[in-house]
Amino acid sequence: MSDDIDVELEQAVAEFYQSLGIHQGPGDIQYRLILKVLGRNEGKITEFSEIRKYTDQFADKGSIGSKMKTVFQLEGLVEKVKRGGYVITDKGITASNFLKDSTAFYKKNKRMGEIIERMP
Amino acid sequence: MNAGLLVNATICFAITISSFAFAWVLARSEDEHTDKSKPALWSLVILWSLVGLTYLPTTIRMVAAYLGRENLDLMMYSLAAIPFSFVAVPLVFFILYVIVGNKKISAYISLLFVLFGASYLMLLFTKGVIGPFVSNYSSLFTINSDIAINIYLMGLFVIPTAMIIGFLLLIFLQKMPKHLRYRTALPLVAISFVFDFMLTDMITMVDVMQLVARIFVLIGTVQAFLAYFPPLTLQEKLGIKKYQYELYDDEDLDIDVEDDLDV
Repeated sequence: MSDDIDVELEQAVAEFYQSLGIHQGPGDIQYRLILKVLGRNEGKITEFSEIRKYTDQFADKGSIGSKMKTVFQLEGLVEKVKRGGYVITDKGITASNFLKDSTAFYKKNKRMGEIIERMP
Repeated sequence: MNAGLLVNATICFAITISSFAFAWVLARSEDEHTDKSKPALWSLVILWSLVGLTYLPTTIRMVAAYLGRENLDLMMYSLAAIPFSFVAVPLVFFILYVIVGNKKISAYISLLFVLFGASYLMLLFTKGVIGPFVSNYSSLFTINSDIAINIYLMGLFVIPTAMIIGFLLLIFLQKMPKHLRYRTALPLVAISFVFDFMLTDMITMVDVMQLVARIFVLIGTVQAFLAYFPPLTLQEKLGIKKYQYELYDDEDLDIDVEDDLDV
């Protein structure tokens, strides 16, 4: 798995889904970035500070903390193992795989859109 | 002298006129296209012009065969071979540009097909042709070089046809609006039709097959025209007619929502 998270790409993908009326999940940049960091650290503890490294430009500490609690912990995508430390669950891995599919769909759609744009 | 050759000449003339007309209509629509689609548009204009330029001398060739002028027949065959040899060039550029989106890469790869065309022409003119074999329906020539026929089949026929089929598959495997699928797939099918039957026309040694190939080239040209400018009835039949509508006032929409809530 690649260590780099392309924030700009994630933002573009989120905006694409928002333009389709999907504002939650794949259309939510915070959700995408949190899940990306968690997915990258599969089998390891993810520190809250590591998540904030990517999310700070989009949201404050409070809203990320709230999202962790109300979405990720509540739905069982992560388990809190210590103060500010989370481990992704199997369900979380499923969500992470779905996120990868959503990126692939965005890329496929974009590529096809460009092809159609070039067709006279 | 027989009427079959005149029928053949008429079909060739119809192909010439419709190809030139289509190229002209496409060129005129330049302003309606974006900068991104203009290179592909111009490659199509060149492609259809080359089809027209191939069938113009072929028309004269058929009339020459009808009149029993063998020299003119041969001269026109040689003349028609020049635009024909380069038909694959704009076609390859068109497909590559639309898929890849890079003008330079598409141009460089198309150059390779210029080389194929040039070597085919060189062999054609140096080794000569055998013929004409004038029959009831056609006048046929055969190239006196196996290498030329191989270049012709591999370079000018198999690779561009494979590209078209690949591109068509790419379109059919995507989920897209019906009108876009129609708009992208039908011109490709038409180009493939024209291109493949042009090659059949040039290589065949069966007179009826040549006539049938030319009829299909004509059908392909008309099909390409319909792909870009579909008549209303065809749009309705294919379910791609654009619904004419005016935007509904937002204030009215709010009232409707309130009414719904009251219910």
